[in-house]
Order: sequence, then structure tokens, then C-alpha cells
Amino acid sequence: MFKKILFATSATPASDHAARVAFNIAKSYDAHLDIFHVLGVPSRGYSQVVVDVKTREKVDVDDDYMAWVKEEVKTYYSHYLKENLKFDIHVTIGFPGREILRQAKDTGPDLILLGGSTGSDEDSVYKKSMAGTTMQKVAKASKCPVLIVNRPAASFWGGLSNITFGTDFSEASDKAFDFAVKVAKALDCEINVFHAIDIFPVSTGKLLSQDDLEQKIREAYRMIRSRYEPRLKQLKNYAMEVWEGIPFIEIVKYARDNHSDLIILAHHSRKNQTDEGILGSNVEQVIVRAGCPVISVNH
Amino acid sequence: MKKRILIVDDDPNILDYLESLFTDNGYETAVAEDAKEGLTKAGQIKPDLITLDIEMPGEWGPRFYRHMTQDDDLKNIPVIVISGLSGNAYAIPKAVASIKKPFDREQLLKIVKETIG
Repeated sequence: MFKKILFATSATPASDHAARVAFNIAKSYDAHLDIFHVLGVPSRGYSQVVVDVKTREKVDVDDDYMAWVKEEVKTYYSHYLKENLKFDIHVTIGFPGREILRQAKDTGPDLILLGGSTGSDEDSVYKKSMAGTTMQKVAKASKCPVLIVNRPAASFWGGLSNITFGTDFSEASDKAFDFAVKVAKALDCEINVFHAIDIFPVSTGKLLSQDDLEQKIREAYRMIRSRYEPRLKQLKNYAMEVWEGIPFIEIVKYARDNHSDLIILAHHSRKNQTDEGILGSNVEQVIVRAGCPVISVNH
Repeated sequence: MKKRILIVDDDPNILDYLESLFTDNGYETAVAEDAKEGLTKAGQIKPDLITLDIEMPGEWGPRFYRHMTQDDDLKNIPVIVISGLSGNAYAIPKAVASIKKPFDREQLLKIVKETIG
């Protein structure tokens, strides 16, 4: 299932929780791990002068410097790397989102693994030079699923046995469901299909009566049964649940109550399929808040 | 009757240390070196409290907790997380406390006493 993983890292404490998950997945599933580090963004065009993301110093990058950074990354993760892991370390310069996608195109991973934001501070080397976040760019354009570990809380990854798949019944969600079923089958996991009915008056335009709300819940269960149950029946253990509330909060709550190891969602919902690359707001909020890793499925 | 504490940790030094600490302070103890053994022993002895490591070979602490809470006889047993992992307070939100290794024995005993007497 996960045989080749691309772990994009700043090799700083901001990526530590993602690293914990990356190395554990690689170890658990005997996967090859490509540790990918973009050491900095060029000051202009094809310039070799970059601000190093780790040292925050302006440096003229040559082969020696690249080799030194590679060694630094290796040292930073030495605690994990001694565990007989199959890995390569790649170091480059450029815009992180673009370089991660380029590396993914070259190596064809099953999964790209990213940490959360490198921080909102003004002096973030990455953020200074790019619009939007690396996470959003990669999740939008990646050909393979992207796993994001945004909070330390999401990094207690002792294996995979319980998946929450969140759906809004869009075509994009159907693709994500295909992936969720594939993971559940391959790794013998329980899968929980979850839908949240948005009751927030700002999104719905009105406050639903309790009768309307319960009617919508019944309809959502019917929808889950007709859309997903034939394939769910191929699995040993599955459940379906519909809650009402603010969708991203409900998904995070459900996954937490259910002790899910993983949340799988489509990259964007039906509502904003034509948007220019940003993650659906619910997906983004789930990624930011979840207490377990989140996989965004795009294709 | 003495209160029973189950110590789940893969580090034999921690097991020895906690076992002595709790026994010296009037508690009965049982130990388990991994989640699987922990669940079996929890089912057998029905402890009053469990101290739980997070990162262990095989299943991790949070998975142990999930299995535990699916068992009606065990689901309300208070758990104290004792782990060296950073941010361990987030690992099991319903834990009564999360303590980072190395820990202060007095602090741990205080929490145990407050929880089970």
C-alpha cells in the first residue's frame, strides 16, 4: 500500500511531529522513504544565493553546501535512521511547493507526507516568497494522496486500524472513498463513513427546523447506503454516521471520539471545485484541527 | 483493601521504578511490557488506575486506550500517561494527567492519590 513515501521536511522542530509519523509509517510498512528538504528559496530568478531555512543565513549554494545540508538532515533524523530504514535524502533549492511536486513527479511516491505550517512568523523563509502555503499547493496539484500532520496531537501514530472517511457526496469524495477502501482493505482497517450536515445559518441561509434536520439526516444515511455500502460490505468492519453541526468541527470530533488513526477527505468539495487551488475550507480546517493525520485525495 | 495500579511500559527500568514507587506507597501493582499484555492484565485484575506509556513496540498507548474503552469493564479506569514523547498531553485527551519523562515522583504520587486515594 505505502511502498514509496515522499516526506517533505524543513528538518526543523516544525516538522518533528510529521517526522514521527513518516518514520513510523515507513517502518511499519517497510516503505522506502525519500526525505526531501528544500533548503531555501533563491533570492531571485536562477540565483544560487538563498536564505537557508535552518540557519536563516544568506548562502551561496554550491555542491559542497548541498552535501553539508544533506549531512545535517541525516544527523537531524539520526535517531530514526538507525532503525534499518530504506531511505534517500534529497536536498534542493527553490519554492517548496513546486519542488516537492517536481520531486514527486520524478520518484512517483504512493504518498506525500507533509508537516504543518513552518510558522506564521513574518520571517519564515518559505512564506516570504510564495503565495499560499506549501500544503495547499501540493495538495491541489499532487497526483498521489497527501498526508498532512499539522499538530503534535496528530502525531501519535501507533499504526493504522481505524479510518474516518468524510464525505459530502461529491464526485471528488467518491475518488477519496476509492482510496479509503483501498487503504482499509490493504491494511485491514475499520472504516467509518461520516457525513456532517451543515446547520450553520450563514452557510445554509436559514436555520433548519428539527424536522427538516432529521429528514436530512435520514436522507444522508440513505445516500451513504446507496453510494458506498455495496463496497463497504467487502470489508470486515465498517460503520456509518451522520451528525449535524459545523462540518469540519463534527469530523474532527467524530474522529476523536472514535479514536481514528487517520482521516481521509477529498481535496475539495462540490461547492468549490472550480476554485483556484485552495483546499476546500472544511478540508483545510480539518487538517488544521485534527488529532490524527489527514489524507487529502485529489485525483 | 489496597488499590491496584497497572503499569504499562516497554522500558524495564521504568517498570521497576514505578513498581517500587507504588508498592512503597501502599498500592498493589501489576506490570505489562506492551499494549497486548496490558489489555490482558487489565481484564484479569481490573486495576483502579493505569499508567501508560505512549510509544511501545507493537501497538502504541493510544491504541491500548481505544481497546480499553471498548470494554465495558475497563472503559472508566483512569489513565495517567507517562511518556518521553513531546506533546504527550494530546495523545489521550481523556487521560487524568500526562507526565513527561523524566518525572517528579512526588508529582506523580500526588496525582495518583488525588485520583484513587
